[in-house]
Amino acid sequence: MRRSVGLTLLAAALAVVASGCGSGVIDKSTDGVAPAEATGTLRVLLPSFPPSNEGRAQFQKVVEDFQQKYPKMKVEPDFATYNNLNEKMSTSIAAGIPYDVMVTGVGWIQPFASKRIFADLGAYGLTPDVIKEKSIAALIPAVTYDGKMYGYPLLADARAVALRKSAFIEAGLDPEKPPASLAELKIAAEKLTKRDKDGNITRSGFDLASASGFRQSFTTFLASTGTTLYEDGEPNFDNQAGLDTLLWIKSMINNVQPYGQVNAAQQPLVYSGEAAMGIVGGAVDCGTGGKGIGQKNCDDLKFFRFNSGKEIEYLGGDLASIGSRSVHKDAAWSFIQSLTQPSSLDAMAKLNRKLPAYKDASNSPQAKSNPLSKFVADGLVYAANENEVPANWLEMRGNFDIQLTQAVLGQKDPAKVLRNLAGQSR
Amino acid sequence: MSTTLERPALSATRKADVAKDKGTLTRNQVRTGWALLAPALLHSGVFIVIPVVAVLVLSLTDYSFGDTWSWVGFGNYSELFRDVDFLASLWHTVLYAIIVIPISMAISLAVALGLNQKIRGLGFFRTAFYIPTVTATVAVATIWLWIYNPGSGLANGFLSLFGFAPNRWLADPGTALGSLMVVGIWQGLGTKIIIYLAALQGVSRDLLESADIDGANRWQKFRNVTLPALGPVQFFVLITSIVGTFQVFDLVYVMTRGGPGSETRVLVLDIYQNAFQDLKLGYASAETVIMMIVIAVFIGVGRLLQKADTND
Repeated sequence: MRRSVGLTLLAAALAVVASGCGSGVIDKSTDGVAPAEATGTLRVLLPSFPPSNEGRAQFQKVVEDFQQKYPKMKVEPDFATYNNLNEKMSTSIAAGIPYDVMVTGVGWIQPFASKRIFADLGAYGLTPDVIKEKSIAALIPAVTYDGKMYGYPLLADARAVALRKSAFIEAGLDPEKPPASLAELKIAAEKLTKRDKDGNITRSGFDLASASGFRQSFTTFLASTGTTLYEDGEPNFDNQAGLDTLLWIKSMINNVQPYGQVNAAQQPLVYSGEAAMGIVGGAVDCGTGGKGIGQKNCDDLKFFRFNSGKEIEYLGGDLASIGSRSVHKDAAWSFIQSLTQPSSLDAMAKLNRKLPAYKDASNSPQAKSNPLSKFVADGLVYAANENEVPANWLEMRGNFDIQLTQAVLGQKDPAKVLRNLAGQSR
Repeated sequence: MSTTLERPALSATRKADVAKDKGTLTRNQVRTGWALLAPALLHSGVFIVIPVVAVLVLSLTDYSFGDTWSWVGFGNYSELFRDVDFLASLWHTVLYAIIVIPISMAISLAVALGLNQKIRGLGFFRTAFYIPTVTATVAVATIWLWIYNPGSGLANGFLSLFGFAPNRWLADPGTALGSLMVVGIWQGLGTKIIIYLAALQGVSRDLLESADIDGANRWQKFRNVTLPALGPVQFFVLITSIVGTFQVFDLVYVMTRGGPGSETRVLVLDIYQNAFQDLKLGYASAETVIMMIVIAVFIGVGRLLQKADTND
């Protein structure tokens, strides 16, 4: 694997040279050709369908819908994950065979749009009003760069907070009055934290769900104070609110939760009782099979949102874009339309345990399938995320994870870290 | 009294014939040589020379997979030396190499010496020591993730038998890199052991017997006979170890992703992050060039040490 990275980089360099010599085009352009006559292969990169039999079957239904309009076009899917998305996109570009449709997440659009890798969807009539009318308005900043629209929301990935009622009662706290502000959360978390005789934490008071980095939790806690991470692409965290939030996270780690705590099932710790409170995803399986936690555990959970001045729930999502170098842009847009059919979105939502990004997500089958999805769907009006990130966000994501961790672990001064991150954002 | 034998002088015609014969023969040999070399040269040209040249050229640009790029001269290089992540990665990689290489070489040699004896279960031990080498690193890393698990891992379970408090191993900035080094040392033993074992079996029996007759003890025989005989093999193991440790990636990628913070960030991981996550291919290319230079320096130092050792 280690050699393969070096070889891949060398191969990518070679491919850049090779693609520079050629046109980088395999198919002839189908743009402007009547859909029924268009031929070629539509290359689709998406993390929205797992490569399982069920995932492939659902994807095939989207293909069949698309092929009703483009019967002669083939569709070549690449079922990626969010971990290897950039790798696949960059190597495909370097190899001169970029994808026609690319599904990415919140924070991807601006960097790729700024590099002119994504096409402006305004050409297909996409405006903020269209998204407001048909999709989730909170995702408009995530698909906007320089005033233009570069993506269409497919799924909403919302996060909430959960508490264990039994743990609250045991600690003398009222589960019906969950803590909401950062100060209240800390007091409750300290009461809920259990230790052994040597002082080692045996049950975390609060799971910050930040084993791989504090970027999302920092963004979430900061937003709950009414401060967004970025405003119009400019950093908005190098201030007192940012510093207070970072110091608060620092005061929680190794106080109410050991740094890096995860469980083998990669499930929120509050589901298994390893934490009394914590950040959770957008769905909970109350069944007993697979990843199900059982009805008894489910009944012991209560969901709420952070509110340290502003009630919020963190919102990510799957966003579909068209490659600017695609020679099948019209077909790609048609494919996105097939992807955004309610039945397709419902299938994707179920497969990914997220919400379909259509207007009435609260009444979607996914929202009705479990109490957490219903809770986060009803709370989409409180959605918050990084907001309009700068063009170098891909680089900044890693910088945030590394430097915030260094601040939390006491290796670097928190104020200097925030100043440095603000300086690196451009 | 001495006699000198001289070749009879060749006639001018004969000289021309010999030269002609030699010339014809040499040309044929040259052609055959080039023909035989061609596949290897083609392979080297396409897969080594061109990519290396491409990396060198890209390192002078700000190419980031977009439509536009521009020449930045040595801008990437000067930026690299202000980049704390790169400097941390470089330092961690050098530290990893400096610690892992000598320890793994010493342990491998010791184990190879043991396996070179006539002991029971020799085949089993040789196989057991080689298994980590043929096991996929991802699988190895996954097993070690469990061993280092702070809650239910084998390492803390074992230490608790002696009353030690549980350690957070990979999550603790103070122990994360060291924990990775242990895995790196363990995984790299197999190949080195096999190489040392093969070399040990080639050590002259005559010299060892002569040393016995001269009354040399085991250490003296090892120091003065075995070790010098292993010189070329030591150099080979050193070079391959330098290249291997500088290219460590999969272990880090699976086990820590460079964390906590950037405590286990190594060069290849940083290159990977810059190239394929941050899409800064020009910058990552400059980093690759720096890595090649550092590896070359380490190999050069290794050669100097080897020469000094040989001169001793």
